[in-house]
Amino acid sequence: MKECKIGVYVCNCGTNIAKVVNVEEVVESLGKMDGVVVARSYKYMCSNPGQEMIVQDIKNLGLNRVVVAACSPRMHEPTFRKALENAGINPYFLEMANIREQCSWVHDDAIEATEKARVLTSAAVRRVKYHEPLEKRSVPMCPATLVLGGGVAGLAAALELGDAGQQVYLVERENRLGGNVGRVDLTAPYLDSARDLLTEFITRANQNPKITVMIQSKLVELGGYVGNFQARVEDAQGDIIELAVGSVVVCTGYKEFDASRIKSLAYGWLPNVITSFELEGMIRKGKILTKEGNVPQYVALIHCVGSRSLEYHPYCSRVCCMTALKYAHEIKSAIPKSYVSDVYIDMHAFGKGCEDFYRRSTEAKTMFLMYEKGHPPRIREAGPDDDCGMFIWVKEQLSGEEIEIPADLVVLMVGMEPREDSEAVAHLVNISRDKHGWFIESHPKLDPVATTTDGVFIAGACSSPKDIPDTVAQARAAAARILAKIAKGEIWADAVYAEVDEDLCSGCRVCNELCPYTAVEYDKVKKRSHVIYAMCKACGACVAACPSGAIKARHFTDQQIFAQIEGVLPWHSNHVS
Amino acid sequence: MAVRVNPKLIDELEYFGAQDVIKCYHCGNCSATCTHSDEVFVFPRRSMRYLQMGLKTKLETSIEPWLCYYCGQCSEQCPLGAEPGESMMSLRRWLISRYDFTGISRKFFKSTKLELLFVILIALLAGIGFLFYGFGHGDIHVYDGANAFLPSHFIHAFDLWLAAAMFLFLGMNIFRMWYFIMIKSGGVHIPWWLYIKKFYLLPWHFFTQKRYAECESKIKSKVFMPWLVHLGLMLGYVIMLVLVMIFLHRLQSGPEIDWSVHALAYLATVGLLIGTIYMVKGRIKKEQVQYQKSQGSDWIFLVLLMIIVVTGVFQHICHRLGMEMIANITYVIHLMAVVPWLLRMPFTKWAHMLYRPLAMYFAGIRKNALVLEKEGAPISQPIRQAA
Repeated sequence: MKECKIGVYVCNCGTNIAKVVNVEEVVESLGKMDGVVVARSYKYMCSNPGQEMIVQDIKNLGLNRVVVAACSPRMHEPTFRKALENAGINPYFLEMANIREQCSWVHDDAIEATEKARVLTSAAVRRVKYHEPLEKRSVPMCPATLVLGGGVAGLAAALELGDAGQQVYLVERENRLGGNVGRVDLTAPYLDSARDLLTEFITRANQNPKITVMIQSKLVELGGYVGNFQARVEDAQGDIIELAVGSVVVCTGYKEFDASRIKSLAYGWLPNVITSFELEGMIRKGKILTKEGNVPQYVALIHCVGSRSLEYHPYCSRVCCMTALKYAHEIKSAIPKSYVSDVYIDMHAFGKGCEDFYRRSTEAKTMFLMYEKGHPPRIREAGPDDDCGMFIWVKEQLSGEEIEIPADLVVLMVGMEPREDSEAVAHLVNISRDKHGWFIESHPKLDPVATTTDGVFIAGACSSPKDIPDTVAQARAAAARILAKIAKGEIWADAVYAEVDEDLCSGCRVCNELCPYTAVEYDKVKKRSHVIYAMCKACGACVAACPSGAIKARHFTDQQIFAQIEGVLPWHSNHVS
Repeated sequence: MAVRVNPKLIDELEYFGAQDVIKCYHCGNCSATCTHSDEVFVFPRRSMRYLQMGLKTKLETSIEPWLCYYCGQCSEQCPLGAEPGESMMSLRRWLISRYDFTGISRKFFKSTKLELLFVILIALLAGIGFLFYGFGHGDIHVYDGANAFLPSHFIHAFDLWLAAAMFLFLGMNIFRMWYFIMIKSGGVHIPWWLYIKKFYLLPWHFFTQKRYAECESKIKSKVFMPWLVHLGLMLGYVIMLVLVMIFLHRLQSGPEIDWSVHALAYLATVGLLIGTIYMVKGRIKKEQVQYQKSQGSDWIFLVLLMIIVVTGVFQHICHRLGMEMIANITYVIHLMAVVPWLLRMPFTKWAHMLYRPLAMYFAGIRKNALVLEKEGAPISQPIRQAA
């Protein structure tokens, strides 16, 4: 091994580090270590002059290893790797010691903090000696995309990709496209026809030669990794079709809450208590009637059925408030002499045009009655002398009165919940679900359509309740992410990943099941396991588990880690000083 | 026991002027801005809510609409244009129709045409009646004395009959008002002696219209003037009523002026004239919130009053100038306006002249009763809840 020439750079981070850690003392102590050619401090090491200092030292002093004692490597490791690359040496010859988050920010004893900073940095110096030059590798990107679900999200994603000239396989479980939007008559708040929206999407999807629509089909297996998935789809005839795709967009949507779970609402027991989707069916048929075939005089809409309740779903289903207002409009226009009561907890009218829609609904004389969260309305049958079929008991919040609302037809605004098959789908495409069963995004704010599995995206109501505009926006965002990958043509994998020494591997397959990213594959012919580096996140689970010691994690070799441990042990630190 | 909401009530209240109450989303700005709203009688928000929900019994038994004097601050503060002031006004109209057991009031509020028809019919009947009597018993050329076209003893007797009819209707209405507010609403036990203890409130509020002046406005003159005019109009009317009922023969005597009655009569006339002109002007200009939404009924009241004042003054002048025939004709026209104007009183907004001081009286009793209850005075009967 070539002689190590190490440069140590200790950052003040303004006063973030320097106010607790005696930086000069660390520099002085580290400068005396074996192999250390130069040790310096600087106010902001990540600044351009700071980086330039490192570059110049590498060039002038012939450094071949660099240790930066500063903030967390999550923050600036890429910055300093780039500096090494600019100076002409392999970027993986860098090691960082975190003396800010793990030292100055969490300690106030200056003497002990200085000692800790010195120990952490000296451990980094010991480790960096064993660093190896590593190279990033790339894999080709397959431009085809598998879209799961033919609802408004799936259609939007497929059209965006198909219009860009990329192959799309649109897989729909049911015998028609359109999903839940296809069960709806008008949309809130502009009262546009849902059918018109969908017809355009479906026609365009069917006409686009790049989009292969597969109805009554389902994904049965997904193998491979980002850019190189192999999907097995079972079609209507029961045949298995093998598809090679580079990305997957999951748009499996939601199902409605089962209202019969709330006993006080009498759904399934009183015939004229119906769900919002049943009302949609009536409106689509053009007749709003009670089960007895009469035109209802009093119609009541009950909000938050299954939503915003600790007992059922604590979350808000987001679309029901405006949908209820839409029903108020539709019922009033279908039956002008009817009286519509809107029984709600809070009116969520946050979307574009929604507050105005609410105002117009009040002007259309919808009677708004507020009930208390946790005290759901109770429905009972009316007596023979009453001019209505049912009464809804509510503790009304704005008046403080306990009231009974007359009703001939009660519409329950059922909330959204994950589909029964969401667990199976999550397992198939290897993504996670939250405690309610919604698919989890990579980052709720900054990366809302990606998942923890590279190449698998989520869009629409499968990740949380959503309205149509948000769903379409997400679908198109996922398509944009995929088009960006396709445009690059290849996927660059990090140089840090696990490798199996096939000579040592016994083929026990312990690692296969253990890998959280399904990156370990078993070769049935060779009877050996190997790691697909494009999928590996270098977590080290397989390395630790391998009974034969056949798996090695690049950049985290035993030698490197032992050297670092020795560095922090007091015996060794004392020995150095 | 849960109260039943009635979605139909809001439709009915529209006839009484509550067009915008549906817009209210209960921010409470109106109640916060109102000087009359207190911890016992919270309004207009609570009344607005009852109205939206159609809680008929709650509204029928509520006293709050009478405690509002429509300064218009609430409507100016309302962020949604729900017109709480006008809603309270319409509730007062509705309450008048609820107090009226005959159902005539309700019909008048629902149809101005009907009310107009009633006024014209009564006016014609009165006109025919008085002309018939006049030509049968008197001389069109004589205004005063035993041979007069319409001698004061006859008009006086007629007045008494008219007054009896009015008091019959009004008495029934007041009884119903008392029953609704003090008995049907329940909520607190009211000891009988409180009716005596608080009785002073009735004349006090009747003759001072004090509450009107307490309405808050940024510009004090905006409150002071309406109050003064309102008081002038009210006192003018009361003085005139007393003079006509008791001293009619002296009012008509002449041609020399009898200052013992005429001084007061002139004062009352000035009050009535200024009040009427002020209100007509206000309703035409529509600058103040309370004058922006006039109903046909309001105009009938003002136009009749205008006719009454003008013809009253004119016949007086004619008689002093010796133009007896013109004075007599004017007198008939005057009576043609007075009779329907008085007869419609128990059925229209005009009745608020009595209901308002009564409401202050009842409110005082209820408040005192609540205080007693809080202090732990023995409750002789269980608290009734409004049905």
